[in-house]
Amino acid sequence: MPHAEPRWRRYLRFHGADVSADVDDELRFHLDSLEADLRAQGFTDAEARREAARRFGSMAAMRERLRRQDTRRSHREARTAWWRDAAQDARYAARSLAQRPAFTLAIIVVLALGVGATTAMFSAVDAALLRPLPFAHPDQLLELRDVSIPMGADFSPGVPANQPHVPDISDAAQMRDHFSHVAAYASGGLNLSDPENPQRVRVGVVTRDFFATLGVPPERGRTFSVAEGAPNGPAAVILSHDIWQRQYGGRDMTGALIQLNGTSYTVVGIMPRGFSFPGESELWIPLSVPLTFQTFEPFRGYLPSTVIARLRDGTTAAAANARLSAMWTRALAPIAATTDGRYAAQRLATIHAQGATTPLRDTLVGDRARALLVLLGATGLLLLIACANVTNLLLSRAAWRRREIAVRGVLGATRSRLVRQLLTESVLLSVVGTAFGVALAPLVLHLVGALMPAHLAGVASAHVDVRVLAFAAALALLTGVGFGLWPALGAAHANAGATIKDGGAHGATEGAASRTRRALVTAELALTIVLLIGSGLMLRSFLRLTSTSAGLDAEHVGTLELAFPQVARARATHLRTISAMLDRMRSVRGIDAVGAVNDLPLSQEGGIGLQVTVDGAPPPPPDEPRFARYLVTSGGYFRAMGIPLVSGRVFTAADDSLAPKVVIVNATMAQRYWPGQSALGRTIHFGGDTVPVTVIGIVGDVRQASLDEAPEPQMFFSIHDQTPDHVALVARGTLDGHALLARMTQAVHSVDRAQAVFHVRTMDDVLSTSIAPRRTNTLLISLFGVLALVLAALGVYAVVSYGVTQRHRELGIRSALGATSADLVTLVAREMTWVVTLGVVIGLVAAWLLTRLLASQLYDVTVHDPAIFVLAALALILPAAAATLVPALRATRVDPATVMKAE
Amino acid sequence: MPEPAEIVRGTLDLLILRAVSWGPVHGYAVARWIAEATSDTLSIEEGTLYPALHRLHEKGLIDAEWGLSENNRRARYYTLTTAGRRHLRQQAASFTRYARAIFAALDAPANPRPREA
Repeated sequence: MPHAEPRWRRYLRFHGADVSADVDDELRFHLDSLEADLRAQGFTDAEARREAARRFGSMAAMRERLRRQDTRRSHREARTAWWRDAAQDARYAARSLAQRPAFTLAIIVVLALGVGATTAMFSAVDAALLRPLPFAHPDQLLELRDVSIPMGADFSPGVPANQPHVPDISDAAQMRDHFSHVAAYASGGLNLSDPENPQRVRVGVVTRDFFATLGVPPERGRTFSVAEGAPNGPAAVILSHDIWQRQYGGRDMTGALIQLNGTSYTVVGIMPRGFSFPGESELWIPLSVPLTFQTFEPFRGYLPSTVIARLRDGTTAAAANARLSAMWTRALAPIAATTDGRYAAQRLATIHAQGATTPLRDTLVGDRARALLVLLGATGLLLLIACANVTNLLLSRAAWRRREIAVRGVLGATRSRLVRQLLTESVLLSVVGTAFGVALAPLVLHLVGALMPAHLAGVASAHVDVRVLAFAAALALLTGVGFGLWPALGAAHANAGATIKDGGAHGATEGAASRTRRALVTAELALTIVLLIGSGLMLRSFLRLTSTSAGLDAEHVGTLELAFPQVARARATHLRTISAMLDRMRSVRGIDAVGAVNDLPLSQEGGIGLQVTVDGAPPPPPDEPRFARYLVTSGGYFRAMGIPLVSGRVFTAADDSLAPKVVIVNATMAQRYWPGQSALGRTIHFGGDTVPVTVIGIVGDVRQASLDEAPEPQMFFSIHDQTPDHVALVARGTLDGHALLARMTQAVHSVDRAQAVFHVRTMDDVLSTSIAPRRTNTLLISLFGVLALVLAALGVYAVVSYGVTQRHRELGIRSALGATSADLVTLVAREMTWVVTLGVVIGLVAAWLLTRLLASQLYDVTVHDPAIFVLAALALILPAAAATLVPALRATRVDPATVMKAE
Repeated sequence: MPEPAEIVRGTLDLLILRAVSWGPVHGYAVARWIAEATSDTLSIEEGTLYPALHRLHEKGLIDAEWGLSENNRRARYYTLTTAGRRHLRQQAASFTRYARAIFAALDAPANPRPREA
């Protein structure tokens, strides 16, 4: 009896091959045919069946074998077919995109901008926040907050004896069950003597365990020995790979002597290529525990150090933190409880609030993380706007292509095939857009450079690498599918019959599509408002900051810096050299005023803070001592820098070490320490010193550390009394910057040819460098805001323009029936009015909620600055109105006669 | 037949390709043709034909397509592809050479005479 194939199985075949069913059918057919032949030869039914089964052999085994074989084959064929289709789709997509170059170019440019900006910001964030630091198990490294290095007995006085013992590096090193290594580092600059090319080098001053703590062994030689790491030990130096190659040509340096600030150091090792922590160090010298005066002296007594530790395997940062916090509490709580314990209480509160330990990365990234993340967020918004725009363009295009798609549908293309075809187009667009975006990224990244945390320099640099490319590729795919899926689904839905009949001008999904377009534009407008308000706030902060007076007149001022070998006896010589150089400069035509200072304002160096005793004033609480920043200047410095002398006089050459001690104070110090009275003629003391220092002058406040930090008490000492071994020479003149700096350098070299000169720059440069991160931040976010505005205006234009084209016939008829131009414009523009209003309102509300995130980036502007909110809304509404009116006016030019004839 | 498996395995592909070479045929027809053409000498278990057919299909030597049989049943028809035709030609030629050599050897005298000097 012939076996009948179940009917349902045939239906299954409509959806591709059913391997098992096919195998069964084929074998069944064989057996049936064989049985039929046997019956024809005279076998009975039963005999035929038995004979056929005998001749065929094992049916079950055969079936299983064939199934496996065929499944393998059908998978392979499906794969081949998929790739063939994909290649075909890509070719088709490329052809159809090439047919509309303007459309294609618009999309590619929009995407390239969005992707370029996002990719660049991602690489910056990746370097600063995501990529592991180039140390062994970087997650085990912690900074120990506020932990210091004890000072040696030979150290200068000034630390009161009755201070509580707070945790220091030795206590941390005792925590062996928590930390496997504890180390400290500091950064500074020294003069590397070289007969031909005396130069300033960046030096890492590090404890013996520093390299072991980071887990980075030297490339050659060894790290510091116990003796070298001990106080007043032998002077040893470790070179970076870079300086070893650059300065010494990579020759064997082990045991060689090099001169740093006039002292000989023995080279003991060379670090591997790429290692330059901390702060792009070119070489490393030992930092002893306890600190000695010898260590400090080459760095002008200013060497802030950071203590780090590596967690022992199996311990947690939380446990170490708890242990250290307990130590802090034990040391400070008793004092904090007293009436005079405000400073101790504050210190303890900070430890408790922020933890006694911080992951090393957080320390290095510092407060820049927020700025980078805000910008990444801004580029994310920009990318969303770009995608919304592209979706919009594709939607309009899909409407135009509805006829083509319907025809393809009728010709047998399945829906999924059509969707895939359209998605291929959008992915192709996004891939090309992304490629251009990635090419653009390094340019943006260059701009971002100034924003990278300074401590990360030489540790993690931002660049476009494999990770960033992977990110960009993911973006390409996501955006391609994201902005392409909706139009593709919509287009494939179109009712083929209806579309072909009426020529493609109208379709069943037109209403839905135009709703989608309006929603997209609303979203674009809202996102744009958020970006505009962000940019506005940053811009206003920046303007506020730049209009903040630094307390000096930077125009027409040039500076250069010198450092002298550290030999105490030579101070008199230094003073003579400096004076000679200043005299030479003063004699240059076009230079009006010259001066010298140990630390330039606005160069991130606040100068050391010294504790002062104000004579005649009641003593301050013991834990809240009076401090003032200590600077050394020549008398001419104030005029050269444009710092006003409020009262009194400046230094003269007579104010030398033999004369009575004198000091000039700034206005803040005068007001704070002598409130309501004149500071002139009053005296102060330092530490245990008995010699009174008399105030001879009061000068205006200068923002010493940075422009956004309020001035602190400052005091100036005469260079004739306390000659520093590092000075900045300052000259003001009528010469332009370049000539001024050249003359200054000449003057220095005419006194001493071999003098190393560095940081030759105008004061304007110093000022501008000091605000560079903020400027970059502002520039970028404003750039993103403007781009968003342009994209949003384009989006509005596209939608209105498309609407006018779609309603061409309707407009013609209305015009024929007597509608005025104003009627027609109103008709077309009305819906956009709602879209813009809604977009602006949503954007304002979103911005109101989001600007909080910007708070730490702002200066002297509140996050809800009403003027900025109003301006941002206007800045969006005006271009949106223009983008609406331009195409709307076209509606008035529709010629009724043409429209009627076309029917 | 005593131990025909080895020989059949190698030659079965050849026979199938030959059976398919005249135009679309289904598996049953291939089996019948082999039986008739070899006068039932090589009557194998007919089931073993199918793995060979499917293997040849997978290799791209034959094409498979569903069609209707003489008695209006759905049957799978096989045709030779271009690659299959080339393969058949080469294999047939080399098998013929092989068979001739074997025959020649079998017909040769028992002891080759030593060469005369």
